Amino acid sequence: MGRRVPYVDFSAQYARERRGLLKALDRTLARGEHILGGEVAAFEKAFARLCGVKHAIGVANGTDALILVLRALGVGPGDEVITAPNSFVASAAAVALCGASPRFADVGTDQLLDAQALKRAITAKTKAVIPVHLTGKVCDMDAIDRVAKTKGLIVIEDAAQAVGARYKGRKAGSLGRAACFSFHPLKNLNAAGDAGAVVTDDAALAEKLRLLRNHGLKSRNEVAFWGYNSRLDNLQAAVLNARLPGLPKVMAARRRNAGLYRAGLAGLEDVLEVPRDAKGAVDAYHLFVIQCDRRDELQRSLKKEGISTAVHYPTPLHLQPAARLLGFKKGDFPEAERQSARILSLPIHQHLTRAQLEHVIAAIRRFYRR
Amino acid sequence: MKTARKPLKVRYSYLARQFASIDPILADIKKLVASGDFTLGAPVRRFEESFAKLIGAKHAVGVGSGTDALFLSLKALGVGPGDEVITAANTFVATAGAIETAGARVVFVDCDDKFVIDPSKIEDAVTKKTKALLPVHWGGQPWDMDAVLSIAKKKGLPVVEDACQSIGAAVGARKAGSVGAAAGFSLHPLKNLNVWGDGGIITTNDAKTAESLRLLRNHGMSSRDEYAFYAYNSRLDSLQAVVGNHLIKDFEWITQTRIDNAKRIEGALKGIKQLWFPPRAKNERHVYHLYQFLAEDRDGLLKHLQALGVDAKVHYPVPLHLQPASRRLGYKAGDFPVAEAQARRTITLPVHQHLTDEEIEHMIGCVKDFYGA
Repeated sequence: MGRRVPYVDFSAQYARERRGLLKALDRTLARGEHILGGEVAAFEKAFARLCGVKHAIGVANGTDALILVLRALGVGPGDEVITAPNSFVASAAAVALCGASPRFADVGTDQLLDAQALKRAITAKTKAVIPVHLTGKVCDMDAIDRVAKTKGLIVIEDAAQAVGARYKGRKAGSLGRAACFSFHPLKNLNAAGDAGAVVTDDAALAEKLRLLRNHGLKSRNEVAFWGYNSRLDNLQAAVLNARLPGLPKVMAARRRNAGLYRAGLAGLEDVLEVPRDAKGAVDAYHLFVIQCDRRDELQRSLKKEGISTAVHYPTPLHLQPAARLLGFKKGDFPEAERQSARILSLPIHQHLTRAQLEHVIAAIRRFYRR
Repeated sequence: MKTARKPLKVRYSYLARQFASIDPILADIKKLVASGDFTLGAPVRRFEESFAKLIGAKHAVGVGSGTDALFLSLKALGVGPGDEVITAANTFVATAGAIETAGARVVFVDCDDKFVIDPSKIEDAVTKKTKALLPVHWGGQPWDMDAVLSIAKKKGLPVVEDACQSIGAAVGARKAGSVGAAAGFSLHPLKNLNVWGDGGIITTNDAKTAESLRLLRNHGMSSRDEYAFYAYNSRLDSLQAVVGNHLIKDFEWITQTRIDNAKRIEGALKGIKQLWFPPRAKNERHVYHLYQFLAEDRDGLLKHLQALGVDAKVHYPVPLHLQPASRRLGYKAGDFPVAEAQARRTITLPVHQHLTDEEIEHMIGCVKDFYGA
């Protein structure tokens, strides 16, 4: 008792980054440049390199990244787009907001879109698939690609949680026609507010996205087509530029924490499963999600011991009120539904101390009396 | 026209000067960054309360940008495919973009000699499909509230006020943003009340509209784990709200300074016969986001001013109905003669609150030189 383990720790992050962050803010403010300025351009260049692709386009947030890509690729009324039912709402909402119909395919035990389930969900109207690299773990993109290719589907990675993750030596963000990232304050690479990006190797798509995010303005006085205002703030880009070099360290710390959890929770396999990297994968561990018996009881018990946890997410997307009109029912995606009662996200952030991690492990072992 | 006047840089953007004394703001930003209250946090709620009070509206909802403020207001009123929305032809692209990206069709109406929608031309544009009016309080000049609101009432159409450029504008005691079903404002860095990136805010007097906007801007989340409907992510950043909370204290000074600057320039230029100024009504408060008038040989004047260091601009040289984006809407040159004539002759001078006496006199002198006045 007594030791607090917060789920996130912004004050620790600020204490470590204070000098670099303030310098970046100061530099940006002194220039008086706020809309699509030099910081945005520099970040886009660096982020494209990080993902191993040619183009990055900074946008207002991860949700907009998905909406703009779908729009740019012409997804609209009459189309269906398949995604995972256990994702954050934005993956499905982006589809619906483009006028298309969100469809779902069940996930595997690893919480990721299952290629065989995807195959079964495809109809004549399916135009695209959005595999979600949930928790920072990249989907089996080779298998998904094979299915997508035979049916001519566009593959858009939802990499909102997967900055820096790898799959068979390839980087998250380089595995589809385009990929969408979020730099929300809770993400591994985080801004001080909402921020996002799209990455792609497709130059024409990149050009279209640059117009779509900025009113369709080809120049100050020429409107090529009606677009949105969805720009990555220059100030947020400055924050991201300051943090980007530290990303490998953040990821290493999170991966070290994951390893300590796995070792500490060994022997509990009959009551809980811990996430592991698939062969050839390097997971980013945005979330460390265990699947466990008596989830709600465990969460309450940990809370009493000062440990904050979260559930991502307790209700699958097809059972949400928002999906009312889509005609799904309980039982449609049994694996996602089964997991929704068992998943629990443990604190995994880079500022956890070894003592805090051991406290969490001990508390879990106490709960299961082991 | 030949002149010995020396160039003096008169910037359109005052941000570098605004940032000259930002330590109190930075101190609050540091607190915010350490607290992690980034998403719809306490600074946003505080800003919304102050802003609603400033406009005299019951509710204010902070969003990602002025464009989103209009877009989400239209969505909240149920505007979508098959609908038409009426606006002015001489507006910024975002007004029409908001209508079109909401799935509706934009219908343009000509403007009057004050650069705002001509109420006498609205009724002819109303069809069975018209779902809303989106008149633009242009550049700080409010539209004719009596006329527009009475047409809206007669036709049973809600009015979404595009007040993106007109924070603080008023007709009599009625402020822009307090008379429609909803109103969209922009807090873009160049606006009279600005933040340091994109930001916007919506005002409304209707509690239900406010509630639906709060869901629309935040994934439709009725709680952390329940999504009432599919919706957007369009939030005013807490960090930007911190900036807004500081600058809103100076709002009356900002507004009055811009008005004073405009009056001073106009007083000095009024006699020049090659210039034409919009009528200024006594009961209307124009807040001069843009200080705009019409000029003979506009392009010549523009070049002359720029050569002498003045960041003069044109808002805008091509009306929206003649933009490539309007191709499918079927408009042609000649459809909106007032807007088209203005587009050829309008010019905008810097009028911001950080202008110095020397800069104002320089601009006046440059214009006078050009016309030999």
